[in-house]
Amino acid sequence: VNAFIHGFDAAVVVYFVFLNSFYALLLILALPEIWEQSLLAEDEDLVRLQEVGAPPPISILVPAYNESATIKASVTAILTLDYRHYEVIVVNDGSSDDTMGRLEDAFDLYEIPSTYPETLSTSPIRALYRSRTRPRLLVIDKENGGKADSLNAAINASRWPLVIAVDADTLIEPDAMLRLTRPFSLGLRIAAVGGTVRVANGSVIKDGRVVEPRVAPRFLPGIQVVEYLRSFLYGRLGWNRLGGNMIISGAFGLFRKDHLLEIGGYRTDSVVEDFDVVVRLHRYMLDRRLPYSITFVPDPVAWTEVPETLAVLGRQRERWHRGLILTMWKYRHMMLRPRYKRIGLLGFPFFTFGEMLAPLVEVMGYLVTVLGLWWGFINVSFALLFLLVALGYGMILSIWGILLEEVGFRRYRRAGDLVRLLCYAALENFGYRQCTVWFRLKAFWSAIRARKTWGRMTRTGFAAAGTGTTS
Amino acid sequence: VTAETLLFFVALLQGGSIVVLIAVLLANRWLRRRRRDRVAPRRMVLDEAIKGWALGDVGPELVVRGLEALPRSDAVEAMLAWSVRLTGERWRALAEALELRPWTTRLRGAVRSRTWWRRLEAARFLSVAATGADAGVIERLLKDPHPAVRIAIAVALEQFATPRLVNIVLDRLPDMVGPVQAHYAAVLRGQHAVTVPLLTERLGLVYDPGLPRIVEFSGRMGDARLREPITALATHRDAEVRVQVARALGDYPHARTVTVLRTLCTDSAWEVRAQAVRSLGRIGDAATLADLRSRLADAEWWVRLRAALALTRLGAAGRDALLLAETGAQPDARYVSRLILGLSPQALSEFAA
Repeated sequence: VNAFIHGFDAAVVVYFVFLNSFYALLLILALPEIWEQSLLAEDEDLVRLQEVGAPPPISILVPAYNESATIKASVTAILTLDYRHYEVIVVNDGSSDDTMGRLEDAFDLYEIPSTYPETLSTSPIRALYRSRTRPRLLVIDKENGGKADSLNAAINASRWPLVIAVDADTLIEPDAMLRLTRPFSLGLRIAAVGGTVRVANGSVIKDGRVVEPRVAPRFLPGIQVVEYLRSFLYGRLGWNRLGGNMIISGAFGLFRKDHLLEIGGYRTDSVVEDFDVVVRLHRYMLDRRLPYSITFVPDPVAWTEVPETLAVLGRQRERWHRGLILTMWKYRHMMLRPRYKRIGLLGFPFFTFGEMLAPLVEVMGYLVTVLGLWWGFINVSFALLFLLVALGYGMILSIWGILLEEVGFRRYRRAGDLVRLLCYAALENFGYRQCTVWFRLKAFWSAIRARKTWGRMTRTGFAAAGTGTTS
Repeated sequence: VTAETLLFFVALLQGGSIVVLIAVLLANRWLRRRRRDRVAPRRMVLDEAIKGWALGDVGPELVVRGLEALPRSDAVEAMLAWSVRLTGERWRALAEALELRPWTTRLRGAVRSRTWWRRLEAARFLSVAATGADAGVIERLLKDPHPAVRIAIAVALEQFATPRLVNIVLDRLPDMVGPVQAHYAAVLRGQHAVTVPLLTERLGLVYDPGLPRIVEFSGRMGDARLREPITALATHRDAEVRVQVARALGDYPHARTVTVLRTLCTDSAWEVRAQAVRSLGRIGDAATLADLRSRLADAEWWVRLRAALALTRLGAAGRDALLLAETGAQPDARYVSRLILGLSPQALSEFAA
């Protein structure tokens, strides 16, 4: 037993060292990337391109299921973006609440016949609507088929060569589209591009716009601010440099429509359709040896409402991790295959061992350490030091994310927000992290049972009564 | 060294790193605020100087001094912002006044920098402050490997479009994506005297693999002298060339254009037919009614849709044709006519865009 515990601990230490070294690599790679991206973000030429009408036309796809609390604000914000050529396609995915009614009231809709072929098969369409007040808007009312099915219906109806999937609970900054199309405008061979998603909870919101970003004072959404910063500002930037960005957020990701159609659109049997579609896109392009890149641009920002209760957070994280497990399993043939280049040789091993198995290893580590301490095989001071180092490392990564935000973008201007961010970076490791490990652990069980449910997300809406804030 | 000691040192190192990171965070805030407090008043002085100079109250020296008081990047940014509002001779006088200042000489020298962001800064500056002596520098920047630099310097062509420089742009057309091409077209639209003869020459190179992009670019230029060379390519063996010809001709309403487009309406490639009917719709010649009506029964959905949309642009005659097709024998034409007749004028204009 002694040998086993020590052996297991050694394995955990090796895993810990490898994983954290890789995170450190991402962190270092994020530095030149954020430097370059922030230089390009300040580029006035973007505005000039807009003036001559050069940016490519975009179809914005907004799947909505039971989004009556936020649908009016988010669609209004999308309809007033600072971008010349775009259309907005909202898909009411058989909502059981008043989403469709809210849309009809807010945008004065009238029914039109269908004017496109059904390239991707979807659940039956009930009706199509245009707005008397907003000519850019098309609303598709269809029977419930899930988010992927809604996106496919919207892709069918879209007219432009670039499509962007935006969650109905997401508020897009006015210049975000212009910034998001920058890689296309620079003439890069882009298959997809993702922007930054930030936490809207706690911020001051007016007319569907985040006018004053703030760090949520409440513990749970506040911690997620740090989590999102870390995930977007060094994780994805680092992957840009490694050439293997495997995640484009489903809440804010721009794709070339022809590529999406070639791979058959979004898969309706996946619970993380955004991750699945990016992996398939990589596979498609690499199988055909086509030049492409899937990149992340940090300055276009979309704001989203994150869970404020543990129950909702649990469902969300369980689904995300279940999706990761099922996707890794489904495309396991790409793992370590030279044909799939950095995706197969770097991305898949990292996402499988570093992300997918991480909660298992962490829980096993906790268990074996407790047992070792109980039976006296492990030195108490060693165990505590190891825990301290592990937590310290997590804290460094979080503070690094905050630093990148401060240096690159500085959205949170109040000193109080900076203090809050630092506090959350420290507190995240005590309780919150263990909770997310538990949620992710549960995902293994549901993945084995092959559950395909999404879990219900409860939203408070972007304009809570009278205050104009989300909290 | 035992594992425990090692861990202890790692923990110490981490603690130190956290303290350093927090210190950097705070220092970054402080430095930014300090810089802002220092630069903002100088920028206001510069803005006032430029306003006075624009009104003719002060000479360009005051503006030059104002620019020199700012950090280089802020000075370039200020120039870019003002260049949109002030153009012509007055702006050129400022460019000449700046030509031999030490900081602008350093900026010009940055075009040879190994780092792209220095070249980008030089390109931004030269895009609004180049003088006649900068043709060589502009050429170098137009060939720069970084796309942001090439896009930034493109604006300089509004002032200094020589055949040599325009040829560099045209050589690069096959590698340019639509937005970048549109940007160059917008910049060169005011330089017809140089651009049109070069494009005419290239439109004659029928075996050039980059021909589709040249035709597309010529369409964007919208110069009547390009109509004939574009029309001559209507029978090109490459369908992509014919697609671009059909699309470009929509911007050239002319009897000969209509004749060519009517022929392209029956092209073997559906993409060509779709573009041809779209262009006929844009031209809106009532004589093409029969051609468009026949395309309502085209084998390809997109051609039928485009034909129906084109008919809506022919006024009452087009609408009558759609009404007739809606009750006609041909099922495809019946369906597409019903769809289009059901659209509101607003939706129609959206679709026809």
